[in-house]
Amino acid sequence: MTEVIVLEKVKSALNRVVENLEKNRQYLNDLDSPIGDSDHGESVCNAFHKVKEVVSDSSAQDIGTLLQEIGRSIIFSGGAAMGPLYGTAFMDAGTALAGKKDLSREDLVKMWEAFAKGIQRRGKVELGDKTMYDTIYPSFQVLKQAFEEGKPLKEMLQAAIEAAHQGMESTKDLVSKRGRSSRLGERSRGHIDPGAASSYFIVEAFFGSLMED
Amino acid sequence: MKKFINRPENLIEEMLAGFVIANANKVRRLETERVLVRKDAPVQGKVGVVTGGGSGHKPAFIGYIGKGLVDAVAVGDIFAAPPVQRAYEAIKASHGGRGVLLCFGNYSGDVMNFGMAQELAQSEGIEVESVIVNDDVASSPRDRMDNRRGVAGEVILWKVAGAMAEEGADLQKMKEVGERAVFNTRSMGVAHTPCILPTSGKPSFEIGPDEMEIGVGHHGEPGIERTKMMSADQVTELLTLKVIEDLPFASGDEVTVLINGLGSTSLLEMYICVRKVAEILSDHNIKIYRTYIGEFFTSLEMGGFSVTLTKMDDELKKYIDAPCDGVHFVQH
Repeated sequence: MTEVIVLEKVKSALNRVVENLEKNRQYLNDLDSPIGDSDHGESVCNAFHKVKEVVSDSSAQDIGTLLQEIGRSIIFSGGAAMGPLYGTAFMDAGTALAGKKDLSREDLVKMWEAFAKGIQRRGKVELGDKTMYDTIYPSFQVLKQAFEEGKPLKEMLQAAIEAAHQGMESTKDLVSKRGRSSRLGERSRGHIDPGAASSYFIVEAFFGSLMED
Repeated sequence: MKKFINRPENLIEEMLAGFVIANANKVRRLETERVLVRKDAPVQGKVGVVTGGGSGHKPAFIGYIGKGLVDAVAVGDIFAAPPVQRAYEAIKASHGGRGVLLCFGNYSGDVMNFGMAQELAQSEGIEVESVIVNDDVASSPRDRMDNRRGVAGEVILWKVAGAMAEEGADLQKMKEVGERAVFNTRSMGVAHTPCILPTSGKPSFEIGPDEMEIGVGHHGEPGIERTKMMSADQVTELLTLKVIEDLPFASGDEVTVLINGLGSTSLLEMYICVRKVAEILSDHNIKIYRTYIGEFFTSLEMGGFSVTLTKMDDELKKYIDAPCDGVHFVQH
C-alpha cells in the first residue's frame, strides 16, 4: 500500500466507524448494564447518526475540514456525554490537519494525538480513570512509537489497533473515576468500561479501513 | 417487555405530540428543535429559566413548564442528555432580555452539553448562568459533592428559580439563591424493581425478587448497598437518617419534605413513609414547613421512592410558597 492516506480513504473509514458502532450497539448497551444505564450503544450510535450524511454531503476539499465538519455535527446534534466527547475529538483532529489533502505517516500521528487530547480536554480525564481515554491514549502512544521506529503505515495502524484493544481490556481491572459509573467506586471494578469499548470499535474500524489496500 | 408503545424509536416524538395537544393552553413546541417552551415564551422583562435532560422522568422535565416555574426544556432521548444545539435553542427561546438561568442535574452529559450551549449563547451576547443540582447523598461522599448526582432536588430548584424570575429577580441573585437552595437540599432513594428501558427492552439493573438497592439513582444507577427488602418504617428511617446527617439538618431547623415516587410505588406506600419521616424529624426537633408527596421525578416505572429535605430560610420560604402554574405542578 502507499504511504499516504487520501480524502476518499478517510471518508470510507468514517462510514466504516458508523457501521461498526451500529453492529456493536447491543453489545455496548449490555456492557453498560452493570455499571451504567444500559444505553451506551444507543448514545454512541446517536452521536454518530449524522456522520454518514455529513460525509456524503461534504464539499470539503481537505481532510482537516472534513473531520471538523464531522466533529461539529457530533457536538451539536450528538447529545448524551458522547456528543461533546467524540465531537471534540474529531474537531480537534481536524484542526490539527488543517488544509491537508492527504495524510503522511507523521500527519496520522498528529491527528491521533489531537483526537486523544480532545477527549482528555473535554472529559477532564487522566489515564487510568476507566474511560475511553484508556483506549485512545495507548493507541496514540503506540502509533507514535511505530512511526519513530520507521515502521510502514500498515504496521503502525495494526499496532495501534492492538494497543487500543489492550487499553480497552485494561479498564476491566480499574475503578471508575469519571462519568456515571464513578459513583460506584469499587463496584465498577470487573467490568470493561463501555466508553473504552466504543472507542475500541472506532479505532478498529477507522484504522482497519485505512489499512486496506 | 410489556409497554403500550409503538416503535421504540418513535416514542419520544409521539409522547411530545400528545403532550403538546393535551397541554396546548400552556406549552408549545419550537419548530426547529425538540424544545418545549411556555406558550408565551420568551416572556419579556424576566430572566428565562431553562432545564432539560434525558426523557423518562415524567412529569420532569416538561411537566414543569409554566408560569412561576420553567420557561423552556431541551428534551433528550431516554436517559440521555440533549445535544448542544437543542440546549442552545432552549436558551434563545426563553431569553426575554434579562438573561437565562440553566438549572440541570449533575450528569457529565448534561454538564458538557448545557455548558457548551451556555458558551455559545454567551458568545452571542446572552447573559447565561448555571445552577447544577447535586442533592443525591448516596452518589458520592460529602467531601466529593461535585461528583454527586442531581435527583428530586431539581424540583426544589425549579420552584425557587421560577418564583424568583416571576417576581422580577435578576440573574445573579437567582444564581445565588438557587445555589443556596441546592446546597440546602439533600436526597436519597431506594428501589426494589428496575424500569424496563423501552429502547433495549431490558431492565435498567438486575436485582433479586427479595432485594432492594439503597441509594439508587434516577436512571437505575446502583447505590451504596444492596440488601434484603425492609419494612416501610425501616427503609424510611435508613434514608431519612442518612439525609439528616449529611447537611446536617439540626435541631430547630425548618424543612420542606419531598417524597418522590420513582414510577410504580403507590401513593399509599408513600403516605406510610412520610408518616415515618415526620416522626423521625420530630425526634430530631426538626420542624416540617411544607410537604410535597407524589411523583415528581420518576425513572419510568421503577419501583421505589426517595426522601428529600430542604432546609428553609425566610427567602426560600417565600419562593417555595409562591404560586405556580406548571403543566403537572400547580400551586395556589
